Amino acid sequence: MNARLLALLPAAIAINLVIGGLVNALGLPLYLDSIGTILAAVLAGPAVGMLVGAIGQLLFGLINGYQWIPFGLIQLVIAALAGLAAAHGGFRSSSVTLAWGLLTGLVAGALSSVISYVLFKGVTATGTTAVVTLLRQLGWSLPVAVTASSLLLDLVDKAAAFLLVGALVRALPLRMMGRFPRAARAVGR
Amino acid sequence: MTLAPGALAARAHPFTPLVVTAAIAVAAIALPGAMATVALYAATVILVLATGAGRAALRALVPLAPLWLFLFLLHGVLGDGSRVTVAGLSLSRDGLTLAVTQGARLGAIATASLALYAAFSPARFVDAVAERGWPFSAAYLVVATLLALPRFRARAVVILEAQRSRGLRLRGSVINRIRAIGPVTFPLLLGALAEVDERGFALETRCAAGTVRRTALAPPADRMADRMVRWAAALSAGAAVVWRVFG
Repeated sequence: MNARLLALLPAAIAINLVIGGLVNALGLPLYLDSIGTILAAVLAGPAVGMLVGAIGQLLFGLINGYQWIPFGLIQLVIAALAGLAAAHGGFRSSSVTLAWGLLTGLVAGALSSVISYVLFKGVTATGTTAVVTLLRQLGWSLPVAVTASSLLLDLVDKAAAFLLVGALVRALPLRMMGRFPRAARAVGR
Repeated sequence: MTLAPGALAARAHPFTPLVVTAAIAVAAIALPGAMATVALYAATVILVLATGAGRAALRALVPLAPLWLFLFLLHGVLGDGSRVTVAGLSLSRDGLTLAVTQGARLGAIATASLALYAAFSPARFVDAVAERGWPFSAAYLVVATLLALPRFRARAVVILEAQRSRGLRLRGSVINRIRAIGPVTFPLLLGALAEVDERGFALETRCAAGTVRRTALAPPADRMADRMVRWAAALSAGAAVVWRVFG
């Protein structure tokens, strides 16, 4: 691992862990806890994105409790899809980025619902669980309520995260782009 | 590290709390039934108190309280199956058992991990990794991120205040708040990328990416007691898995 990657990884992990707090201040039902993972995958490839997601999840567990560690699997999937999107110029325009974000949200939501239901019996982060409780009160079965709430929140969350990273990568100065050649391919240059 | 230097958890070899926490997490997932998981949670709290990290047990209640509440609501109140009346409230018997089991599991894992965080000393961890001859980059990633977190959090607060002072509305309609996402997140992201360049050069001059074995100046002592605790924790977790599979 070269020195630039060694410098990129802690920054990307810290972004994953800190940016959620910024969005919380806006009172929006978003996590945006995968921006660092997506950014690393776009700049340096899916393997680096996976490393960011895995270490980020380990450190998040250290600070907030290891009960959420199974959700680290979703970070790996996000990194793989972000890397795939970057390799195919998936960040060249907002509409293409949105499509990749929605696809990632769909996959992440499906995986998240399985983990939430099987390992956590439907009780996870407060926002998602509040939606599950509401749907249960409306008469939905627990598996359907968990799947619906996970898909809904992940679609919005991952689409927003992809759009943000796309806008950032397109705005990168050429000097920075030169240091990360994969980013140039991601935005179709 | 937020523990008193004399605390048992602070004096232990850095790998010992790591292995114990991992073992508790494995046992919490593997142990079946409410009785076993509640016993594990109780044992974890006692262990945390005995090793001087008692505050972690209290701090763990912050993330645990909403989880316990939702477990009670979702499974105890809204659960299916036979009902039992407690204090005039009709509750699902199976749902309550499930809520207690899951609540105790989460309690044990959260308490152990927050105690590990309280006992974690980045400097001792780097020395322990160097002494084992493991790659420096692995220790650097963990330690650099933990040290970067407070810096990034402080920067995030400054960005929020700066954007507020130039008139950005962080409240109001959903559209307004969505529009504010860019101005509050972009400066942090661009600042982080600019920092990557500077740090990259600094790390290169220190041969941080090199694979040559480093010598730890003051490696933490790995006593017989530490090794025994690690083996006991690993064997206990293994026994819990065997009990789950064959029991």
